[in-house]
Amino acid sequence: MNKDQQTRSQEETGENIEIWADLVSIRDLTIAIAITVVTTLVGYFIAPANEPMPLIFGLVGAVIGFIISSIMIKPKRQFKPSGQGGDQ
Amino acid sequence: MDVNLIIQMLLSAAAGTILYTLIGIAPGTDETAVLAPVTLVLILTGLEPIVVLSFFIASIVAKKLTDSIPVAVAGIPGGVMAAPMVEHAIVLKEYGKPELAIRKMVSGSVIGTLVAIPVSFLLAHLLEPLSEIIGAYSSQIFFVGAIILALMSKQRWIALASILPFAILIQGMRHLYWGLGVIPEGTNVFVSFFLGITIGPIILTLFELLNKNLRQSMDRYDRKLVESTTERKYKGLPNPFKILTTQELSLSTIASFLGCLVFVMSPVGITILLGELVAARVKDPIKKSALAISSMDALTNAAYLSGTLIPLIALGRPLSPVALGPAHALFNAPPVFTEDNNMHHILSMSDFAWATIIGALVAIMITYFFIVKYAERICLFVFKKIPHEAMIGLFFGLVILLAYIDAGWINIGGVILIGLVAGFMHRLGINYGVQFMILYAAPWIVQVVAL
Repeated sequence: MNKDQQTRSQEETGENIEIWADLVSIRDLTIAIAITVVTTLVGYFIAPANEPMPLIFGLVGAVIGFIISSIMIKPKRQFKPSGQGGDQ
Repeated sequence: MDVNLIIQMLLSAAAGTILYTLIGIAPGTDETAVLAPVTLVLILTGLEPIVVLSFFIASIVAKKLTDSIPVAVAGIPGGVMAAPMVEHAIVLKEYGKPELAIRKMVSGSVIGTLVAIPVSFLLAHLLEPLSEIIGAYSSQIFFVGAIILALMSKQRWIALASILPFAILIQGMRHLYWGLGVIPEGTNVFVSFFLGITIGPIILTLFELLNKNLRQSMDRYDRKLVESTTERKYKGLPNPFKILTTQELSLSTIASFLGCLVFVMSPVGITILLGELVAARVKDPIKKSALAISSMDALTNAAYLSGTLIPLIALGRPLSPVALGPAHALFNAPPVFTEDNNMHHILSMSDFAWATIIGALVAIMITYFFIVKYAERICLFVFKKIPHEAMIGLFFGLVILLAYIDAGWINIGGVILIGLVAGFMHRLGINYGVQFMILYAAPWIVQVVAL
């Protein structure tokens, strides 16, 4: 994108990088991974011991982590309307 | 079949459809990483196998229908399978026709589904007599499969050279766990190694971030610019036979049929091949792209369904990249399903037919109509609300969880190790198919070389 215009020092101050076909900020990615790993493992360990409850609680924990990180982190996508034709 | 069971099948199909319609839109969601763990959990909860199968079929059909949307709207693949279509979809986007791309792709998907179901059942029927022989020699077949997939890939020599070392890594870790008494001897850690391979490329990138020099030399971007056309609603009832031209319809049908025949091959590989064939023949850029994406989407769908159904119905062994990947839990989900007692052994032919038909129809009914009408609106919602970081975090959480469940804390390090090696192999051009085949063949390979 506009990385040519940026100076080296600006690039080091937390600009976004590309992982798996989309952009992430290193800081936000660390936060998202930390949150989700913690909620997942907490879910797993607080679950009743009989199978398959730990797995289900763990998955629910993962989903909760996903929701929390979705709320906390803003997507790094910018929209540029290029449409012809009216809105519905 | 009693009414209660049919209601459960319908409900599970609807749940799978809704869940994977949303997941399908999110960019970069790997099919294996999102389908395998959820299916595994459903099986372990003790749901009837036929209900799980309806859920799974509905999920893959819905996921395949929706993963083309971000391709068309933003040029970002909604999944690994959609990646080969990006190039052609971008042409349509540049001509200001993303909604045409969406309609062509989802209509191709529907054709792929409609062709793949009968053809898969027919092929499964033909292959069934071979199931005992295949069962007896499955390790050898996986080994040969790894060699064949390696030879067919672009980086064939490096893929071939990686088979033995990777098998030794996998088997070495299992012997370490047995030696330490982490798990009983003979129990194979499988699911978490499998997911480690799946998210290998991400693990490698995350490790690179810890290296200051590499981190600083990475390309930096401001924001991903997504151009969005304002929504133009499709009028009337969508019908794939009207949306596709005769040429697109016939090529989609042929491609779907061929996709079923080559179910043992990597779906991504054959899709790329098809796209190149089409591109060489048609001149007009819009027609070329529309033809390419509709037939490629038909093909991926057909390859997905046949890759799941044929090995499941005929063989009971996961002998296709799809069966080794997203559908893996249907074959092997200890303690409920094992290699010798899985869906193949439990369900009858008519059970398979019912589950497939209910799953596919529910998914098409809900998702197809919904997408053709509201594609861009759904897409904008996902793009604006779901950060990519949260998706990666979710996969990471799931991998850590399954690693712990498989073999305790040590296995979290073990899975990261597998991920690092697999990610590096992936970067060298060794595809997932080869790596999964090695994972299966590892015990046999190591036993043979140890003699």
